[in-house]
Formats: sequence, C-alpha cells, structure tokens
Amino acid sequence: MIQHAGSLKNCKYADIRLGIHETKHANAEDGKAKGLGEDASISFGIRVLAGEMSAWGYYGQSLGKGESNPKSIRKILTLGINKAYARAVANASKKAEFKSLAPSLTAVNLAGIVSCNDTINAVFDEDPRNVSLKEMLTFCTKISGDVRGVSKDVQYACVNVQTGINRELFCSTEGSCIDQSYALTQGMVSVVAQKPGGIPEVCYDYAGDLRGWEVLKGNNVYKQSLGDFAALRTRETVELTEAEFLPATTEPVVVVTNPHFNALLVHEIVGHPTEADRALKLETAYAGRSWLFRDFQDNELGKQIASPLLTAYSDPSIQGYGHYKYDMEGTPGKRVNLIENGILRGFMNGREYAAILGHPPNGSMRAIEPHYVPIVRMTNTVFANGDKNPAEIISEVEDGYYIVNHRIPSISESRENFRISAQKVFKIESGKITKLFRGGGITADSKDFLMNVDAVGNDFEVFPIPNCGKGQPMQVMRVGNGGPTLRSRARLTGHQ
Amino acid sequence: MIDLEALRNCVRNGIDFVKKQKDVIDAEIFASWNEHITVRLNYTSDIPCNGVHEPKSTQFSGLGLFVVFKAGKGIKVGFGSVPDNVTAKGVVEAFQKARKNKVYDPDFKSLPVPAGKPVLGNYHDPAVMDIGDETIVDLGWRGLKGALTEYNQNHFNKSIIIGGDIAVIKERMAIVSTKGIDEFDESTILTTSITSMIEKESVKGTGWNTSTHLAGFDPEEAGCASAKSAIKTIGGERISSGTYNVVFGRQPVTDLFTNIVIPAVSLSSVNSSDTPFLWKLGKKIASESLNVYDDGAIKGAVGSKKISCEGIPTGRTDLIHNGFLVGFLANNYLSRKFENVFVSFPPRNGFRYHNGGRNHNIQPRICPTNIVIEGKDEVPSQSLLSKINNGIYIGRIWYTYPINGLAAGDFTSTIIADSFLVKGGKIDKPLKPNTVRINNNITDVLNNIIAVSKDKKQTIVWGGKEVVLAPEIAVQGVKLDSIAGFIS
Repeated sequence: MIQHAGSLKNCKYADIRLGIHETKHANAEDGKAKGLGEDASISFGIRVLAGEMSAWGYYGQSLGKGESNPKSIRKILTLGINKAYARAVANASKKAEFKSLAPSLTAVNLAGIVSCNDTINAVFDEDPRNVSLKEMLTFCTKISGDVRGVSKDVQYACVNVQTGINRELFCSTEGSCIDQSYALTQGMVSVVAQKPGGIPEVCYDYAGDLRGWEVLKGNNVYKQSLGDFAALRTRETVELTEAEFLPATTEPVVVVTNPHFNALLVHEIVGHPTEADRALKLETAYAGRSWLFRDFQDNELGKQIASPLLTAYSDPSIQGYGHYKYDMEGTPGKRVNLIENGILRGFMNGREYAAILGHPPNGSMRAIEPHYVPIVRMTNTVFANGDKNPAEIISEVEDGYYIVNHRIPSISESRENFRISAQKVFKIESGKITKLFRGGGITADSKDFLMNVDAVGNDFEVFPIPNCGKGQPMQVMRVGNGGPTLRSRARLTGHQ
Repeated sequence: MIDLEALRNCVRNGIDFVKKQKDVIDAEIFASWNEHITVRLNYTSDIPCNGVHEPKSTQFSGLGLFVVFKAGKGIKVGFGSVPDNVTAKGVVEAFQKARKNKVYDPDFKSLPVPAGKPVLGNYHDPAVMDIGDETIVDLGWRGLKGALTEYNQNHFNKSIIIGGDIAVIKERMAIVSTKGIDEFDESTILTTSITSMIEKESVKGTGWNTSTHLAGFDPEEAGCASAKSAIKTIGGERISSGTYNVVFGRQPVTDLFTNIVIPAVSLSSVNSSDTPFLWKLGKKIASESLNVYDDGAIKGAVGSKKISCEGIPTGRTDLIHNGFLVGFLANNYLSRKFENVFVSFPPRNGFRYHNGGRNHNIQPRICPTNIVIEGKDEVPSQSLLSKINNGIYIGRIWYTYPINGLAAGDFTSTIIADSFLVKGGKIDKPLKPNTVRINNNITDVLNNIIAVSKDKKQTIVWGGKEVVLAPEIAVQGVKLDSIAGFIS
C-alpha cells in the first residue's frame, strides 16, 4: 500500500500507521459495581506530503472486525491514501497561490532519518489478556467499598481500572517498517470527604505504567497495590477535611516541593515550553506558545534560565508512560537534554520542526491512536536527580512550606507564570514539618522559580500523568513526569 | 459514510433479535456514524510555515447495546459495543458482550421512556454531508486570507502569527428501545476559531464563526476579526495587583461557564459530591440578575440536537433563575437515581460525545448543549462599561480551572488578549496580554454580577462540549494579580 502512495504524482513522502488497541476495563463506586468491558479497536492514519509546493494531507478512520481481512483493509487503505493525497495536492496548490500574500509559506521539508525495520514486543509479567473481567470488577468493587468505609465522612469513592495491549505498525515511503507493542495498565482512585457543613475535599490520583496487571499489585512508582494506594489517599483526604485552609501570601516564601508535585511542575513549566511545535507557534490558538523561543534571533537557547543545580531532560528509553523505542514518524526516540545545569539546550521535536530549527530529529511525535495525527508530545520528561537527602533539604529550612503532591495546574499562555495546587501543604518551622493545611498551592513566574532552586534531592521518581491535553481535535495523551525534591521560592495560594 | 436508513434498519432489526433472547427484560440499541474534519491553520511571517498546516479527518461508526437481564429475583445490566459493523452480525456480537459484561448495579432503575416529540426536524445541511476535499482546504485558506488581508491593509507584515482551525462535524445516529423509543438524528456543524498576533507588539486577537450550514459559514470574517482585535490592542499597559470591577467579554464568559459553572450544575458532580452547589437546590447562588438555562432545541444554534443519545427530545432545562439554583443537567441514569433525593430532573442531556462525535462505544454521560445566559434586566453592551465606570474589560482568558477542586469553587485563569482598561465608563488603553492572573471563587463572581448585556453570540472554547449563547457580563470586586514581571 505504501508503494501505491509513493507512486502518486508529486508525492514526496507518505506514511501509514495501522494499529489495534485491546483493552479490558472495570469500574465501581462506593462498593457497587458499575460496569466492565473488553474492547478492541482497529484504526489507521495516513499522512501524505504532495504537490509542487509540498503540503500535508491526512486521513484517518476506525475499522471493524469485518473490515480487518487483508482484502478489505487494502481497499479501505487505498481510499484513505487517495483522500489524503487529494487534500495534500489541493493544499499545495493553494499554498502556491497565497505565496505572494504570505512570503514565509514554504514547501515542507523533513529532516532525514535512517529507515528502520524492527519489532518491539510488549513487556509484562502478568499478561493483560489473561486477566479476567470478573477479577477486575471484584478488585474495583472491593477497593471502592473498603475506602468508602474508612470514615463516615467519605462521601464518594470511585475506582476504575484498565489493562491491555496497544500494537501499531508503521510503514513509510522511505522504507521504514516498524511493529511496536506496549502493554498499559492503570488504576484511578477518586475520593470525596466532607465534614458536616464543611467544604468537600476532593482527591483523585492514578497508578499506572506500560506494563501488565502486576502494576496494580504493587509494581508501580508508589510500590503499593491499588488497594493500599486508595486507602492512603482516602485517609489523607479525610485528614484534610479537618485542616485549615492555607492563607495566601503576597510575597515569595521558601518552598520545598516533593517529587509528585514536581511531576506536574516539570510538565507545565519545562515540558510544554520545550515542545518544538509550540516554540514554532503552531499551538498559539490552543495550548499556547513558549517564552523560551520568540524567534530565531531572540530566544533562550544557550542561555541561563534556571539554577545551575537544575537539569531537565526528556527520555523515552526509561520506564514510564512516555516510554517507547520509535515515535510515530519512525524516528528512534532518544534522550533530549532540555536544560543542562540551568542552560536551555534543546526542544523535543518531529522531523518537520527539526528541519526548521536546524536540529537533529529526536523522535518526539505521538498520537493517541493511529487515526489521529502525530504531534510533539512529552515522553518521560523530568528534572534530573540531585545528590541531597530530602530530609536534609527540609531540615535546613528555618521558615517555609512543604508542598506535597500535585493537584491542578493553571499556566500562562507562554508558560511564563504558573499556579499549581497541592494535595497537602505543611508548615516547616526550624527544620521540622509541623502544621497541615488544605486548599493550598504555589504561584510564581517560571523563570524566577527555576532560577531560585537552591537544593535538588536524590529521591528521583517518574509518575504517570494520564491526561495531557494538546492538539485539535484534542488528544489526551499519557506521559511520564517526575524528578526529585526541590527547594525554591514561590508565593503561596489558598482558598478564595 | 453510512446512511441514516442503514443505521435505522440496524437498530430496528436488532431490537427484534434482542427481544427474543432468553432472560432479556429490556434493551436499547444505539448506532452512529460520525466524521470530524479539521483544517488547522499556522501562518508565521518570520518562520517557514504551511499556512494551512493540515487538512485532516477521522471517521468512526458502530453500535452500542444496553441490556437489562433477569438474574434470579433481581436484574443485571450489561453494555456491549462493536465498532464499524452496523449489521445483524454486529448486533449479535454486541449482545454477547453485553451478556458477558452484565453486573448488578443497585443504582440502575430503568431505561428511558419516550418523552414527547422533538422540536427540531430536518436541520442538517446536505452540502456539509457531501463536502469535498478541495472545499475543505479552501475553507482553511479563506480563514487565513481574512487575517492576512487585514494585517496587510494596515501595513503589518512582520512578526505575524495566525493560528486556529476550521472544524466540520457530521453526525448521524439512530436509537430504538423496548420501552418504545424509536428515534434518529442527523446534524452538521461548522466552527472556526482563529487567533492571530503581532508578536513583537505582544498583541493577540480572536475571531470566531459558527454555523449549521455551509452557506452561512464565514471563516474569512473570523480571520479578519482576529486581526482587527490584535491591532486594536497595540500599546498595552500593565496594571497593579488589586480588586477591580470588570466586564467579562463573551469568550471569558464562555470559558468560565464551560469550565466551572456548567460542570457544577451537572448531576454527575452531585453524584460525586464535587460541586459548590451541593444541597443548594432552591437556594440563591448568584446575583438576581442572572438566568441560565440549557436548550438543545434552538433552531440554527450549533449545539442543538433533535434528540439526545438516549432518544429523549432536547429542550429547555432551567438551571439558575433570578439567581436561584432551580435545576441540574441530567441523563436518565442519574435522574432516576436521584429522583427520590431531590426531584425528577428531565433527562434531556444524556449524550455519548467522545472523540468528536456521538460515539457508540460509551454509555450516555451528561453533556450540555446550548447554554443560554440572560439577565433579568438586560442592558446594551456600552451600558456595562458605564456600570463599572473604572475597571477592566476582559476579552479573552485562558486555562481556567477549578484550582482547588470544583467543590471549593476557587478558580484561576490568565488574561491573554482582547482586553482594555476602562475609564469613566469608556474603553481606554489596551491591557498588556499575559500580565494578569485572575484568582477568584466562582460563587463570589456569580453573586457580584451587576449587569448582563442584551447582545449575545454563539461562542465556543477549546475543549468545550457546549456552545454558549454568551452575553457580556459586568462583575464587581474581581481579584486580579500582576504576573510575569520578567517578560518585557
């Protein structure tokens, strides 16, 4: 099929992704079964670069079981290639027509890569295909019932789990043929607790990894079974209903942020602004731009944007939701050093953006399913580990706050400022953790926070972030984020 | 593309098959076909670019079957779905899945029952259903042309960014149940939202356009409006942190309602005890100036549907009346679960929106349609500025989230475009974008509304399911923080 695409007049490049996602899922609320199921979805996506002034045309579609025999697939893929090609040709023609009005319009150029032929098998101890739906439902029902019973103040407890295998075949006119499979298992816990007459305290959190069912038995970043993880989150939520709300401050204070909190922090103020498509303004109307790159002459590359203690990188080769061997353009994924000792070094990219920036392609293009278009996504994007014991970092604080576990972010358009709420905030007095507060978080200008980091812990972890939204239509992607404990300065935020 | 007749035949023949199966008490079959076309724009005057970056589409179809089974003296319920197989074989496969997936759910009471006749009839545009690839691409370039022409005419041709998209959504569905529901729906939606900037001036403008028919759709106007708005905000000033009287423009009103208010008046938030309006039914939650309702049957509105994905005719559901909470958005499942706790909320908002269409493989969730915001005594837009006298006109906000969880009501957001200082009841200097963060509680904002404009426009925001017929709203005492001091 890919040869057919390559034979079309003025077709410069084409790729086809064909994949199957097999998933089992179950959920329960308050000890009551709510649902379960087992589904397999097949879909494909085609990208064609064609026309005199080459431009993109895309087409995607889901397929049914009846269409999944070779003859039917061939027929449907041919239709899809022809649609994508027609769009590319029409687009290229218009681009040429508009060139006089818009001089920066340019034929698409892709940075070169070595074509690969490879097969990657899913890794798991407990095969998701062998987990029974009944077992999954019993698991959810028991956990949600158990945590509902933790306290009379628990108003709602919901648990859902999924496990499965995603397999995707990639072929391009350049000769790549890659067959990759990854397992995925995730558990989500949502708990609401409320004292009579009080404001409900809400907590939801995830345990998950690109592994088999063993993930929910304790082979995860928390090193806890989903039941123990849910019970812990529930006890914390109940405890918070008795805590005072954190008073906001008008001036920055010393804050120590734990690895779970830093997972969202690195996601928002390092990961997103170092996506090349965002730096090149393609997300201006949606997820925003990047303060790190205004234009080719005016940008932060090679400049100090963070404390010399701070290094951040994105690495698909390590375990986590952002793990893979090849991205969805067939480029081998590799570690990208984003910030080295405080200096901005690079962006996550795809082949088109690498060519524009003059950087080597680093394999950071992904889509949530084959029928969606790949865009630049974080992989496992993290603050690098340091060498200081977290207990020592806290013990050195005379007057400050310990910011524990992330909740919800709100970030400025170019990621230059953030407000992120925490599940818990503790006062630190004379090096000791004291009073617990609820409804708190921190806010700061991103550069100020990064520059003020004066301690980096040695407790590096990568957490599952299951819901990173980007693109149009929005693609909600799983990525890995994390880091060690950090100490910096920020204003406290509270309940308004 | 699957035609409506094929969907209707599938569900009608399917229900006959299911009714004959052992242990079946009730059943509901839903079948759909959807196509979502997106033309993404990206023009950057100083960076090599494509203008129209990508014309793309994704389409999917399938059927979903919900079955109530006998189980001893009680019942069990199961859901099964099959993608891209709207045939008798697909029904059999979905039924086998439903049987395998059945559970005892004590909160399930009954499938939906017929509830009146739909208001809307044949309201889709066949021209959109048959839209060709060249036309799709052309819509994108028209949006770009609107912005480029406006910038060129005003001699701005460097440091220009134009982004956004044109979206074309085609949906067909049919549903039949043993409770007597036998309905179908076919709709077309065209939307565009274009954002453009003169980056060296740090100004950004927004334009948007919506229609159910191709003939009434004008992406060029949206592009032009975005450029005009950006040019108008050149020379923006910072403000200091403090409490201000503000006028929220249509996009911020839509953003606040889409991300905070409407989720808080959904029965799904009541179900999870995660709303600031828990146990507030019948109580005052907002200024008496405010009325809010959902209405999925407004002719020509892009959030309209003939029927819900549960086969219930769409219509008006009052949510806030003269400042009092009078209703919650509901689907059949939660409406019946809570009918003995509150009252029976009409289950008009059970939809299966997912991945850009009415998706066969999920069960109905609660989704808004067209959210209409009205004032008790509405005023012309200009009068809103007089009402606040001195303050800020906020034209576009971004990243609005319930930062401490929905139940706490706290939200935060940044002002990114289209905004001005207001002095003596008139628009004064522009506000510098990306320099102000809003930090407030939604209950305070709703209670501090002082006026609502008469003029409304269908408005959408990124990621939102609903369309808001949005007025401009004047609010007193909004907390604004000066941010990003290191950005020049």
